[in-house]
Amino acid sequence: MSIAAAKQSSKTGWIAGLMLAVLFVFSLCVGVGDMPIIRLFSDGRVLELLLVSRLPRTLAAILTGAGLAIAGLIMQTLARNRYVEPATAGTAQSAELGILLVTLLLPSASLLFKSLAASAAALLGTTLFLMTAHRLPPTQPFLVPLFGLVYGGVIGAAVTFVAWQADLLQYLSVWTNGDFSGVLRGRYELLWLGALMVVIAWIVADRLTIMALGRDASIGLGLDYARMLQLGLVIVSVISALSVVVVGMIPFVGLVVPNIVSRLMGDNIRGTLPFVAASGAILVLGCDILGRLIRHPYEIPVGTVMGCVGGLIFLWLLFRRPSHV
Amino acid sequence: MNLRTIAAFAAFAFSALPAHAVDILTAKGLVQIAVSPTKIAVLDIAALDTLDRLGIKPAGVPQKLYLPQLEPLKQGAEIVGDLFEPDLEALSALGPDLIIVGGRSSTKASATAQVVQTIDMTMDGDDLVAQAKERLAAYGVLFGKTAEAASAVEELDARIKAAKAAIAGKGNGLIIMTNGPKVTAYGPGSRFGWVHAALNLPAAVPDIEAANHGEAISFEFIAKANPDWLLVLDRAAAIGSGEQGAKTTLDNELVAETTAWKKNQVIYLPAAEFYIAAGGVQSIQRVVATIAEAFTAAR
Repeated sequence: MSIAAAKQSSKTGWIAGLMLAVLFVFSLCVGVGDMPIIRLFSDGRVLELLLVSRLPRTLAAILTGAGLAIAGLIMQTLARNRYVEPATAGTAQSAELGILLVTLLLPSASLLFKSLAASAAALLGTTLFLMTAHRLPPTQPFLVPLFGLVYGGVIGAAVTFVAWQADLLQYLSVWTNGDFSGVLRGRYELLWLGALMVVIAWIVADRLTIMALGRDASIGLGLDYARMLQLGLVIVSVISALSVVVVGMIPFVGLVVPNIVSRLMGDNIRGTLPFVAASGAILVLGCDILGRLIRHPYEIPVGTVMGCVGGLIFLWLLFRRPSHV
Repeated sequence: MNLRTIAAFAAFAFSALPAHAVDILTAKGLVQIAVSPTKIAVLDIAALDTLDRLGIKPAGVPQKLYLPQLEPLKQGAEIVGDLFEPDLEALSALGPDLIIVGGRSSTKASATAQVVQTIDMTMDGDDLVAQAKERLAAYGVLFGKTAEAASAVEELDARIKAAKAAIAGKGNGLIIMTNGPKVTAYGPGSRFGWVHAALNLPAAVPDIEAANHGEAISFEFIAKANPDWLLVLDRAAAIGSGEQGAKTTLDNELVAETTAWKKNQVIYLPAAEFYIAAGGVQSIQRVVATIAEAFTAAR
């Protein structure tokens, strides 16, 4: 990284960190229960509300946002295409299929077991996607996202069909439309596993950057391509599956965040990864706060808010002229 | 055409008129039923429930009846689709005199009307009980069972009166539905509003807007509303899946602060009766009985 770029990124880093901090505090203050900050330490019930409800919800939004953005970044690297993300290319839908099958076959399974099943299904679905995506001609970049949409759509249709047969359609909405309203202390902690995946992604960031050059180039540079591909797949699948199980699918995060960050800062994953994570967290937390405020004291699911906000950002990305190429 | 043919036509037309063509009240207003129906197909669980009370056995029923008590209706009856998707071919093959739809199947009324006359017996909202009585009366007239219908209304009124007496002065209530880990709330005017209206149960939160699947709420909402009674519909139980029960969802530190939880005043409503068969006479009675029993037990 050049000195100018380093300066630029440290400035962006400050801005992102500050925004996240502001939203974090704001999120702690927004909710239905009364929580006067002044009495935080004098009134036990206020502190209790903070610890039971507000803090878990805020952390869950941050973990989910950061995780999904990183999952999108890695998926885009593995597919060598900027327009795929777990929510459109079959990963999230496969995870849903996994949960649905566990729900039908083993109704009393624990959340952890459901997450495992969802992760396994997501892994399988994503592997199939990547195997096919790599066979598509690289000269036609839009074939990959197009194939992803169709592929995700087909799996999604299978999920809907099974749920329809079992009369579980509305229960399915628990996973298809992300929502933090059910998050409490003791009900979101699995998401920390997603944070672990983000850390792993950061450790192997340089190798991921090389992978973006393609199979031949990365093997030429001495990278164990197959191993890295497997690792990337596991990271993407585990993060997506955990998000789907705990809060439900949130669209667009994995798509818009890595794109915006790479436009601003380039493609060195070691350098951009913290910003991708922070921006994802900012986006999801911001949308969740909006969802809590728009119809206070009722809620709009974060998935719905993100559908609108993310769609607008995506349009802006498509129509805005790149500042530098 | 000479006079004799006209007279013959007139005589034929008269003889073709049924013994009693009747006007009955449906969700779409008064509808004339020309032929007294003997063979009917029913695509609404509430209607099945009420007809069952009158001892009427339909020739066509939906695939899934949700209420185990209705299961005997399947014997000797044809399956004519499900609540959301009538099987038009099966309906045609069955050739009923009348098709009854309602609630979930009411959107398909125009499709089934292609087979034979279809009436929409949908009920919802605050005056569900009044509508249930209207439907009872209509079925009574239609099938010549007015006496049974009248006694069913009396029985229903007696149950409701008893429930009102049990509820009076024992605090307010909040109706919620759990769907897996998520919760929605219902108030007066909603599809479950009749509980407040018919039983005089004060609402813990009076102004919840009437969204069909309720308003998405957080557990903080329940804690703040602090109802004396929580009336819980476990949606997963309603549709017969063995999913995470409402009890597991509600058993948390925030709900534990409410009066309802502390005083053990959480009522788990009979789910299929409350949710799927809403407005069926026997279903209303079972729901009302569950509520009355809980309130009677409270000190």
